[in-house]
Amino acid sequence: MSDVIYLDNAATTPVDRRVVEAMATCLGVDGDFANPSATGHAPGRRARARVEQAREEVASLVGARPAQVIWTSGATEADNLALLGAARFYRSRGQHVVTARTEHPAVLDACRQLEREGFTVTYLVPGRDGIVQPAQVESALRPDTILVSLMHVNNEIGIVQDIGTVGRLCRARGVLFHVDAAQSAGKLPLDVERDCIDLLALTAHKVHGPKGVGALCVRLEPRIGLVPLLYGGGQERGLRSGTLPTHQIVGMGVAYRIAALEMAADSARMARLRDRLWQGLAELPGVELNGHAVQRVPGILNVAIDGVEGESLLFALPGLAVASGSACATTNAEPSYVLRALGRSDRLAQSSLRLSLGRYTTAEEIDVAIGAIQGAVRRLRAVAPRGMAT
Amino acid sequence: MATLSGAGSLPASDDVVTSCAGDREQGAEVRLQFRVADDRVVDARFQAFGCPHFLAAASWLTDRLRGAGPAQFEAWDWREAAATLEVPVAKYGRLLTLQDAVRAAARNWPGESRSTV
Repeated sequence: MSDVIYLDNAATTPVDRRVVEAMATCLGVDGDFANPSATGHAPGRRARARVEQAREEVASLVGARPAQVIWTSGATEADNLALLGAARFYRSRGQHVVTARTEHPAVLDACRQLEREGFTVTYLVPGRDGIVQPAQVESALRPDTILVSLMHVNNEIGIVQDIGTVGRLCRARGVLFHVDAAQSAGKLPLDVERDCIDLLALTAHKVHGPKGVGALCVRLEPRIGLVPLLYGGGQERGLRSGTLPTHQIVGMGVAYRIAALEMAADSARMARLRDRLWQGLAELPGVELNGHAVQRVPGILNVAIDGVEGESLLFALPGLAVASGSACATTNAEPSYVLRALGRSDRLAQSSLRLSLGRYTTAEEIDVAIGAIQGAVRRLRAVAPRGMAT
Repeated sequence: MATLSGAGSLPASDDVVTSCAGDREQGAEVRLQFRVADDRVVDARFQAFGCPHFLAAASWLTDRLRGAGPAQFEAWDWREAAATLEVPVAKYGRLLTLQDAVRAAARNWPGESRSTV
């Protein structure tokens, strides 16, 4: 067990050794280092073959065809390409977009940019469990709505939105449906056809792949129009210019292939560890779960701990790598906008912890984390005026 | 988490002055207690809810004010804690909560030196 127990896998994950080995074969002089667009020579064609193999692996995980996959630098770029690209392309059809107040900043900030460009955006408020009801989406649709954007799994609280129902609703109304699946790909079953998803944003580094690579899965029939964000070499059917990073793309492909093979076992194991963690923390009085109790991804647990201040709690846990309910715990401890949207007070939002598990999290680490958090909470409460009895 | 010196409370008595300031909902709350003998602090305790800088400053204050009298309490300024503990500017507002508690203790000083402020 390392000195610090890593429970921040929702932020990023360590790269799987098998992924590292595959990536290394694309870097050196003896490897597939060539530019995959340089198909006029053998090294270029070999690199291209590796890229296309990865494209198949990524597409396979989400029920798509390889031609639907457009490589990007990550989910943020994929979200931006989806929202800005589609809205700008279909502007003449309508200028209204629907999303939720609890979306990732990659979506919310793109929506704010659309507002600056004259679009109108409806921000749906989820229930106290974090769930956006499909009926809310339906009520928000207008004749000029061109796009709905809803994340599959919330990155802070881990709840799972009913994207299938929303997707079918959008398809029936002729509205494009974009899903940010950064936190769900490789952890929950995904199928763009079954769930009527037109635009699906993916990333590699949340599922033990490398940082700096992602993909946007774009429906082909009928083909979704997108205005590109980058111009240059015309790679990726002109939708995303720039030399393809073979090693990162190959890494994403292998990470997704492993995820597909091991998803069921990993998810079951993580769910058991998450439940063990929750049971341990719930022994403390004044601890509440943030978000829906059942409709959640296996690896994320977010708890509000009454009677302690969030930054002091983190400070008291030097042996744990966890995330707090503050946007920034150093100087400007703004409470999480996601937790506030769920109705949490600023104080409870700030005293919340997100603990996220990964492939390498062990039961021993969970037990140590429970003990550390229980001890820190008891000490901080004891030092507080009118400290809560524990 | 290192043990914070001065954490805890003193049993209520005529020679103990207690002062409170801040609001937990605002992120900082403190309760200071000082045992006074011959017009000087001979023991001090704190209880606090807040960020690590705030807890550290409250702990430091219980040492800093040992031996102090009411005039020093009335004159105590939060900037001393800020400078000594190198508290970041963003946290200065929380130190004002400590100053409020110290001034309140001065107003409630036991015995003949009680302030009329």
